[in-house]
Amino acid sequence: MAVGDPEETNRAAAVRLLSTRYGALGITTGPALLWIAALLLAPLTFMVVVSFLEVSPISYEIVYEPTLANYEGLFDSTPWWDTPFFTAIWLSYGIATVTTLLCLTLAFPLAYLLARRGGRTFKIIIFLVLLPFFTMYLVRAYSWVLMFGPGGVINSTLMSVGLTDGPIELFNYGVPAIVVGLTHAYFPYMLLTLYASLDGLDFSLIEAARDLGASRVDVVRDHVVPLTLPGIIGGSLFVFVPSVGAFITPRFLGQGKIQMIGMLIESRVVGTYSIGYASAASMFVLVSIIGAMIVAFRYVTIEDLGGG
Amino acid sequence: MATETGEPTEAGETEADYPGADRLFDHRRVERLLRGSLYAVAGLLLAFLWVPLGIMIVLSFAQNPVTLFPFEGLTLANYRLALASESMRQSLVGSFTIASVAASIATVLGVLASFALTRYRFTFRELYRTFGIIPMVVPGIILGVALRIYFQSLLDVLPGFTTVVLAHSLYGLPFVILIVTARLYTFDESLEEAARDLGADPITTFRDVTFPVIAPAIGAGFLFAWIRSFEDYIRALFLAGPNTDVLTIWMFSRIKQLDAPELNAVSSLIVFGVAVALAVAMNYGNVTGYVAGTVAEDEER
Repeated sequence: MAVGDPEETNRAAAVRLLSTRYGALGITTGPALLWIAALLLAPLTFMVVVSFLEVSPISYEIVYEPTLANYEGLFDSTPWWDTPFFTAIWLSYGIATVTTLLCLTLAFPLAYLLARRGGRTFKIIIFLVLLPFFTMYLVRAYSWVLMFGPGGVINSTLMSVGLTDGPIELFNYGVPAIVVGLTHAYFPYMLLTLYASLDGLDFSLIEAARDLGASRVDVVRDHVVPLTLPGIIGGSLFVFVPSVGAFITPRFLGQGKIQMIGMLIESRVVGTYSIGYASAASMFVLVSIIGAMIVAFRYVTIEDLGGG
Repeated sequence: MATETGEPTEAGETEADYPGADRLFDHRRVERLLRGSLYAVAGLLLAFLWVPLGIMIVLSFAQNPVTLFPFEGLTLANYRLALASESMRQSLVGSFTIASVAASIATVLGVLASFALTRYRFTFRELYRTFGIIPMVVPGIILGVALRIYFQSLLDVLPGFTTVVLAHSLYGLPFVILIVTARLYTFDESLEEAARDLGADPITTFRDVTFPVIAPAIGAGFLFAWIRSFEDYIRALFLAGPNTDVLTIWMFSRIKQLDAPELNAVSSLIVFGVAVALAVAMNYGNVTGYVAGTVAEDEER
């Protein structure tokens, strides 16, 4: 190319910039940093600020004067725990805890099997696990909407076969249906995280322990669990956090009978644009998630969470 | 010592004259039993994952779209109905566009950030990495509401196509960073040094040496970000305007009305599409590695 070609000089300038340490650092870190600052930190900070401000319910104008009214509004009842907010939040934590434990118990044997088996068995199982994992969340939730309910597949099948006369309450929409739906939705996260940490496990260690006389229970307790702790904690976080904030699953599998915190926040924003109330309620979710992550990071690094 | 099936404990070793035979026999039996139950549990779990989707697919071909019994025969009418729906096609195109733009942005930002994280040491690097991952961990409802309030009440930007794309590009970023940094950690940097020694500038080195090697990881990152955007409902709900076409929003309103015939067909088509894409991807690349983060080990094998 001729000297003085504008494209060539641009390129030369870029090369010169990339060759300096600060130039290269700026070009590589800058764009993502801008995105994180403008689309994550600023909105979350603004949400914290709004939670301490009053918002006019008519004009939606924000009054820039600090107040605790939004937080008082969350517990605005006698007794104080008898508010939609408190009911929703303890229900959300309860459901998320049960879901996490269920996922952990169910995923461990399968992850162990995957880590020990190679070849065809592995490929088939992993395909069967990954397919639902990559299938839209909404589709999976919908498939459970068909299963549950008084006239759903489970109940109508049981009735046609003659095992029961009327619909069984357990298979109606409600908390059990939500737990099943959430477990189905987040099970693959737990499985893949556990698998990643079990896959790095040196199984000759286990054989050695067995040869030296340790029982199977001992081996699991003393070797398998401690060595895969990052996977267990990471997987639990990956199930617990989205379960607390779940919206679609409780919306469809609770059918109006159950309100989890995500649904409450959604109804306040979409319905009446009560952003003060929604921000204050979100703070409780956010703070508890940060708390869970701080606890988790004493045992794992952020990379363990991604499996990287 | 507690064992699951009453295997002889250490005390047994001292009493019999020929203790080994018993123990060995028991050991094998326990082993077989355990392996059997492991496979049984695995089978039940796979059934749990698959039964609802399978039934939904069966219902998509059934005359009676909500329950299995009484079975009234097979039909393709549901598919014809779904494919003929103009609103469905529009929202499908809308979601494709949003996902493609958002994933492209996330990929460019994520690849650059991954180079910074793996090639340079700088102050606050760990903090930078943490904040690069956080968009994946913040619940969708919180991110959606926070961004909606931020755009509408602080910046005076009305929800629409741009706001959804911005939200989704942030959401996709961690997936690109995780996958691409994992690949760059195992990248043999002497290849780049060789190119540089031979006179290539940084841009040429990246284009001709680094990029071809890490391209599969970049592709996987893009795909992940794309899927996340395509399947997201909650962020789109808060950030899409009344005229933004999004497939998940279309589906959500149909589920609310329990409009089963169309939904069964559209949902089944999505499962088929994902199945084909996944089968192809698994044949060409190490999908499990990218998903479970075991890329490095698998490549050494």
